[in-house]
Amino acid sequence: MKIITTENLSKVYNPDTVPVHALRDVNIEFEPGEFTVVRGPSGSGKTTLLNMIGGLDKPTEGRVLIEGTTISEMSDSELINYRLQNIGFVFQHYNLIPVFSARENVSFIMLLQKRDKKEMQKRTDKLLDEVGLGDRKDARPKQLSGGQQQRVAVARALASEPRFILADEPTANLDTESAMNLLDIMEKMNREENVTFIFSTHDQRVIDRARRVITMVDGAIAKEENKSPPLKGG
Amino acid sequence: MKMLLTISWRNIWRNPGRSGVLFAAIVAGLWAGVLVVAWANGLVEQRMNYLIQTELSHAQIHHPEFRTERESSMYIADASPILSTLEEDSRVQAFAPRTITDGMLQSPVTTSGISIRGIDVEKEPRVTTLHENITEGDYLDTDVRNPVLISNRIADTHNVEIGHRIVLNFQDAENELTAASFTIVGLYQTSSSGYDERNVFVRTQDLSPLLSDQQIYHEIAVWLNDEEDVEAVVNGLNERLDQIEVQTWYELSPELRYLSDAGGLMMTVIMVIIMMALAFGILNTMLMAIFERMRELGMLLAIGMSKARVFLMIMLESIILTLTGAAAGLILASLTIAYLSRQGIDLTMFGEGLSELGYDSIVYPIMTLNHYGNVAIIVVIAALLASLFPAMKAIKINPVEVDQE
Repeated sequence: MKIITTENLSKVYNPDTVPVHALRDVNIEFEPGEFTVVRGPSGSGKTTLLNMIGGLDKPTEGRVLIEGTTISEMSDSELINYRLQNIGFVFQHYNLIPVFSARENVSFIMLLQKRDKKEMQKRTDKLLDEVGLGDRKDARPKQLSGGQQQRVAVARALASEPRFILADEPTANLDTESAMNLLDIMEKMNREENVTFIFSTHDQRVIDRARRVITMVDGAIAKEENKSPPLKGG
Repeated sequence: MKMLLTISWRNIWRNPGRSGVLFAAIVAGLWAGVLVVAWANGLVEQRMNYLIQTELSHAQIHHPEFRTERESSMYIADASPILSTLEEDSRVQAFAPRTITDGMLQSPVTTSGISIRGIDVEKEPRVTTLHENITEGDYLDTDVRNPVLISNRIADTHNVEIGHRIVLNFQDAENELTAASFTIVGLYQTSSSGYDERNVFVRTQDLSPLLSDQQIYHEIAVWLNDEEDVEAVVNGLNERLDQIEVQTWYELSPELRYLSDAGGLMMTVIMVIIMMALAFGILNTMLMAIFERMRELGMLLAIGMSKARVFLMIMLESIILTLTGAAAGLILASLTIAYLSRQGIDLTMFGEGLSELGYDSIVYPIMTLNHYGNVAIIVVIAALLASLFPAMKAIKINPVEVDQE
């Protein structure tokens, strides 16, 4: 079963004034276990596509299905809950809660999910260990480097056990060493735990690691390239 | 909820300088506001106590027309059964009959209009504080013939002093003009210059024979064990006794009740004005905080924090900051009031003006638990109102737009 399906997805901003066609009739499917990059120049619609898939924005036409459920027709409050339970996000600017420690930032999303406290603590520790921040659990974001903050963001995205993770330019603000380190962690999660990652980026360092690359131009899919099949068992 | 409280509390102190300034403003505003209210309460309370203890007592009994006509002939027709009734009523702590007539005070210097109050020397101290207000000389319990107590003000106006004789002219119960000579035995001073200019005190047994050939009383002042019983006692007396009018202190002086009500209203108005000013401060601070955290709030909505939780989080930030500031302000104010309620606020420099208005120059601030409760309610309402707009603003954030910005 496909994890994500978009059907004739279109998005027009400012339809009544100066229409901007961010997406044009996009039909695409994603399978569990993918490690996929959506690439393209600025304004090509890659971020808009990820926002549609993540339920952060609604299409002008067409629909988005996650494992058969049409999320593009959900109300705002239904979408918020859907995102909480099903989708992980990694943002370009990390967007950690500055008043929380790394541990609290990771466990926060599980608190929102009303998970069991012990399970929550155990999973938080495990994830922070996995992203290599086992010794910085009590550090606040400003005490961490950019790369470390983004690793906390990845741990946070994974904490809710989402069906897939959407990462919008996750390496844009990182130096090469930090970016490679982060990609190593994500790749490992994908390989060992079959976590599905979909990136929106034009960072060649990420594109080189992807097993599937979708190129967008002017809001439409211009090219699809499968370097290797997605992992099985998702 | 614990999570929301934690994040709200930490968010408040994310910018310690800004929150600290607002916190200090709330503390200072509440402290000053409560102090002003307590001072006003003390002023009103002292004025009320003064009037009740010096002039009104809890209730008074008169001939039905005496208070409007003030003629000597309008005395209480048969005072004995009334005095007996008061004696038997366990709710009545004390009472004092008075013989009253209006007249003129003549001295070698000038003549002035006055009210001559003939009091029962033994019973009067049980219902008024006249004997405590004597500044010089003696009370009326002396061997001097026809003693009179006058105020310092009258003494100054007439250029007389203790031992001097003055002449009092008045109409008797038959409306015949009469006069008598009285010897000044003491001077008194209350906090009301108007009262002092108007009243002289003599013994009822000296005045009554000059008005009538029998002992007559124009007024009986009643002091109760519990002021709360005043309405029941007055209604009971009015029902039982004919040809008299019994009135409560607030019927005798409606303006006093108005003063009391106005005091409460003034407190509310002062606090509402202060809290409105603070509410705009809170609103401004919270809006600044929201604008600085747009991306973070967008992220919270994106990862699945419900709008209700985001709304509550922002509300809590305002409410916690306001309530902690208010609590500190109230504690500081209560300590200050505790000190000043013993020492008093000395306004002697305005003493003359205050005295003209009938107020003491040393005011002892009063703040009851009820008053603190009212302040707390106003604070909570202000905090809620001030936080509504920022909270609404926060939940309208579009995660996509703020991330792109």
